[in-house]
Amino acid sequence: MKNSFDEKILEEANDWIKANQKVVLATVIQTWGSSPRPIGSRMIVNEKGDFSGSVSGGCVESAIVKECMGLIKENKTYKKIEFKVSNESAWEVGLACGGEISVYLEQII
Amino acid sequence: MKHSQLKEIIKKKASKIEFAIVTNLENGLSEIYQPKKSLSKDFDIHKDQIENFFKLKKNGVIENTEIFVETYIRPIKVIIVGAVHIAQYLVDFAKSLNFEISIIDPRGYFASEQRFPDMKIINKWPEEAFKEIETNENSALIALTHDPKIDDPALQHALNKKFYYIGALGSKKTHENRCQRLKESGFNNEQINSIHGPIGIKLGGRSAPEIALSIIAQLVSETYKK
Repeated sequence: MKNSFDEKILEEANDWIKANQKVVLATVIQTWGSSPRPIGSRMIVNEKGDFSGSVSGGCVESAIVKECMGLIKENKTYKKIEFKVSNESAWEVGLACGGEISVYLEQII
Repeated sequence: MKHSQLKEIIKKKASKIEFAIVTNLENGLSEIYQPKKSLSKDFDIHKDQIENFFKLKKNGVIENTEIFVETYIRPIKVIIVGAVHIAQYLVDFAKSLNFEISIIDPRGYFASEQRFPDMKIINKWPEEAFKEIETNENSALIALTHDPKIDDPALQHALNKKFYYIGALGSKKTHENRCQRLKESGFNNEQINSIHGPIGIKLGGRSAPEIALSIIAQLVSETYKK
């Protein structure tokens, strides 16, 4: 049986907006290989860099936060980013699991 | 996404409506898809594929397009019989899972609103209570009273309606007696063996939250086995 998980991220996004924060929604839209989180996984980021939810197991969240803050700063509404296997040091952003994910960012306007 | 659309999505989720969010990744526009409702021109050209994703309850980007579809599935109905201590923790755990819980308990002092704020509690005997809840093979039953007067009619209803998960609290001895009673009521071995009793995975815990955790773990596991 299919059962969608529900982490109530959208509800939280709404609460943040009600508290006059700018919110960018990040959603996993494509995965290849062994990605840590399924398509549809979400996180939200505000203009200060506070975030909630997840799009990976902690591997790319920091990069997502930066990208989302950039989106708010530049007053853009959407952006698509891809993350691939990282060959750099462990501190570099990338998926240690060897998977690839594509994340879509959209500002709630 | 517009804030008005976000609010609409939250509203639809709360009213347990099945829908999908379709997003054009090339221009950032998004819309809510529901069967029999029309889509704007931008999305209408992909209508067949969107419908297909919706039917298969699938999330993803439609092949050779820049259209992302995310489907929202109605939560699974879980009926708890017995507004007992364990049920309070089950309600807590289920909040972050896609389960819609109803609690049945004919005993008024158990089924008080103060013990279960914002919960649908049916303060009736199971035979009457089940008239108010539509159930089918996608429903689950958690029987917690270990009082045959209350649990048995609920178990019988769940067996007749072929619930995908039926669990009943009680020791091995209690469960043996329960199985015997069900046998006498005309249920066959296959039906009776489908009941998870004693309920829950083997965690070893004895406290109410630990038992609730073992039950919810079993429920999730059975949900994905289907």
